[in-house]
Amino acid sequence: MKGKVLQLLRDHSNEYISGEKISQALSISRTMVWKYIDALRKEGYDIIAVSNKGYLLKGEVDSLSEHGIQARLDERSIFRNVVYQPVLESTQQLAQQLLQEKEKNGQGTIVIANEQTGGRGRLGRDWHSPKNTGVWMSIILYPKLDIRQTPQLTLLTAVAVVRAIEKITELDVHIKWPNDILINKKKVAGILTELQADPDRVKSVIIGIGLNVNQTSFPEEIKDIATSIAIEGNKGYKRIDLIEAILFEFQWLYEVYLSKGFSFIKPLWEARTTTLGKRITATTPRDVITGVADRMDDDGVLLLKDDEGVIHRIYSADIKILHD
Amino acid sequence: MLKIQEIRELINLIDQSSIEEFKFEQNGSKVTIRKQLKSQLKNQVETTRVVAAPPTMNVNEQGDIQQVAVNEVSNQKEETKEAAVKGNENYHAITSPMVGTFYVAPSPDSAPYVAVGDKVKEDSVVCIVEAMKLMNEIESEIKGEIVEVLVENGQLVEYGQELFLVKPE
Repeated sequence: MKGKVLQLLRDHSNEYISGEKISQALSISRTMVWKYIDALRKEGYDIIAVSNKGYLLKGEVDSLSEHGIQARLDERSIFRNVVYQPVLESTQQLAQQLLQEKEKNGQGTIVIANEQTGGRGRLGRDWHSPKNTGVWMSIILYPKLDIRQTPQLTLLTAVAVVRAIEKITELDVHIKWPNDILINKKKVAGILTELQADPDRVKSVIIGIGLNVNQTSFPEEIKDIATSIAIEGNKGYKRIDLIEAILFEFQWLYEVYLSKGFSFIKPLWEARTTTLGKRITATTPRDVITGVADRMDDDGVLLLKDDEGVIHRIYSADIKILHD
Repeated sequence: MLKIQEIRELINLIDQSSIEEFKFEQNGSKVTIRKQLKSQLKNQVETTRVVAAPPTMNVNEQGDIQQVAVNEVSNQKEETKEAAVKGNENYHAITSPMVGTFYVAPSPDSAPYVAVGDKVKEDSVVCIVEAMKLMNEIESEIKGEIVEVLVENGQLVEYGQELFLVKPE
């Protein structure tokens, strides 16, 4: 019966179908309809319910698996090792553990979870990562880079994620310095990178990507600042398509970066940023500085010109774009 | 007179260029920026065994900036002095491998990675330096005891800046 409910929803993929209609068509009670809808949602089907309209299947089951991800990577991929877990505290945490087990994490290991119970952002902030909804992924790399160049990788990753979303959707996607991904001024993806290094040498880099794909709502405290590509695109998307696109974009950008340097990546970043030229407030642990985001230098540092004309070099801050 | 930010900007630009010396004069103020070549410094570094330090500025009483040494390795004398101040013991300094924001803990609500008196091993994480959302987990690199935390949480640290003093074991 659950399958029949799903079939009906699929047959009405462009319009809402009321609970009453489903109940009549299948000769089951409204309560049973609701129960099946609920069960399908728990399996990961993205079904929205709007009062007076009914149900709409926005996203089909999009279950992730190790072999499913492997199947999307061709023989040229640098991502040779896929680790998939249904539930993790965070993919960054498992990636950190894998670093200790050398044999399990060759160059280009990726860790993906269907759900994170303790997904985190900068400074230990929570990253809401419910099951079946987003791309929660960490990439382990061992780049031969000077430590001082490594922040550039976070900008490169932002370009890769934007290009991937543009490839799969028709949406306008922007970067807020350094690497928040925004659609309609709301955050759709965040990137957090952790570096392990000796004083003179990079040992490993773990790039964490959280991309909101099929969420239809967000908790109260972030609903005004967070969005998903399903909300913005008004339909569901397959996470596996986005994972494939992100890894593809990341790989070629990374290879070009290693051979040609940041000068190739920087204009791609600049072309997609909404920060430069805007009046912004940068909140650093020590200061709150308001001014115009003048430019980004070759290391990725944001140059913020305050009202006295003084240029501040911003290495880390919460950026708020004013009068946007 | 140039603002300190503008001078920083200049240092960065010159540092990345092949310019060895730069002079600027305006309304009686003079700025001279001179790079020391690595080769000239190499011997000194090997004998003093001091890690890199941030660029220094010497400003005389007239406010003229006489010299700004810009190099990956500079300022050995002052570092030696600082170590001497700490007494006779030979403390090891943990330095920052990049410019960024210094954090004592992984999040504002967490306990610091280390405090004065804590024992550390070579691979103990002692702090984070952040730039562009890249969190660099700085390891002690030496076994010993933390005797001093030289910078404050949230402070911007320079490349080569000393962060902790460790009494080696």
